[in-house]
Amino acid sequence: MDVTARIHEQLTKCGIKIAASLPDDWVAPLIERIAADNQIRHVRVAREAEAIAICSGAFFGGVRSVALMGATGLLTCTGELATLNLRHQIPVFLIVSQRGSIDDHRIYQEVQGRRTLPLLQAYDFPYHIVDRPDEVNSIPDAFETCRMQKRPFVLFLTRRLVKGRARHEGARRDRRSRPPSRRCGRRLRARHGGQ
Amino acid sequence: MAANEWWAATKSEDSFYMHGAMGFAASFALGLALSLPQVPVWLINADGSLCMNLGCLLTEASQAASNLKHFVVANGVYQTVGGLPMVNDGRTDYAAIARAAGFPRARTIETLDDLERQLPAIAAEDGPSFTVLRVEPETGFLRTPPMTYEGPEMKYRFGRALERRFGIEVFGPQGY
Repeated sequence: MDVTARIHEQLTKCGIKIAASLPDDWVAPLIERIAADNQIRHVRVAREAEAIAICSGAFFGGVRSVALMGATGLLTCTGELATLNLRHQIPVFLIVSQRGSIDDHRIYQEVQGRRTLPLLQAYDFPYHIVDRPDEVNSIPDAFETCRMQKRPFVLFLTRRLVKGRARHEGARRDRRSRPPSRRCGRRLRARHGGQ
Repeated sequence: MAANEWWAATKSEDSFYMHGAMGFAASFALGLALSLPQVPVWLINADGSLCMNLGCLLTEASQAASNLKHFVVANGVYQTVGGLPMVNDGRTDYAAIARAAGFPRARTIETLDDLERQLPAIAAEDGPSFTVLRVEPETGFLRTPPMTYEGPEMKYRFGRALERRFGIEVFGPQGY
């Protein structure tokens, strides 16, 4: 099973009914998969902090939710996470690409790689890094921990997980059968559009 | 309008008086409206807050929550910090911005008589709707006393009130 399918399956196990997102290219396939699920209300937002507040409002409606974004987007939400979620002890579950890792060779992600975890530690926000497909099964435990700790919880997805070879475990045969033109298109986008 | 002033006027358990995350009461209200689609959700926003998160109008319009009504109290200043003027000095037409973002219903109300006349129809219409309430600024700082509770108590008061009123479960069996 493809890793995005595994994550989607675990989110369904958590009872997620609302997903609010702003894409980073590492989490984009997961977002599009969730968007195609008619059991989850998908909300595309214009700024990541909207996703935080939407999930916070959904909490009071008794609905389980997730916010999806990149690490850069997470950094833009720190004021709202502090003054809404920390102040009122409102849990919000975030799935975030762990940009700026040693295998992420994008200069504009380098600071995110160095400063994101220390920032979360300063805020005392719990987080969990998922690096391998078999660790995806930890998502329901992470979600429950988020509820218990009553604060933002960040589940990071690593490059190895979402971009590396492991992401297509069990799905390689499908990839080989795709027409050549589509593979070329993917390479072009990665070279010119990927962040 | 600032949360303290709205609390002083209403003191309701059914309201979440949002002090933090300036601009994001709109997104909070959208999340609430989407999760309780049969429950009317009224957002009392302000022009300063709206301008902190103008993109919320695109998100609201795209989600088309029929139970959500967005009101903006527009006085053109940052009242709680002493009445300093807002950006663009009162020239902004927020209802026009909302219409351009895709709101099917948006209007500006300038007088109390107009508000009394239009409010029943606004309450009865399907959302998402957007109503600007143009008001005059106060002079200087407001002197409304602060709310008598905050943070976590705000959360539990509001959440428990919704549980009682709508029969939903906000907090689990162990209270979190």
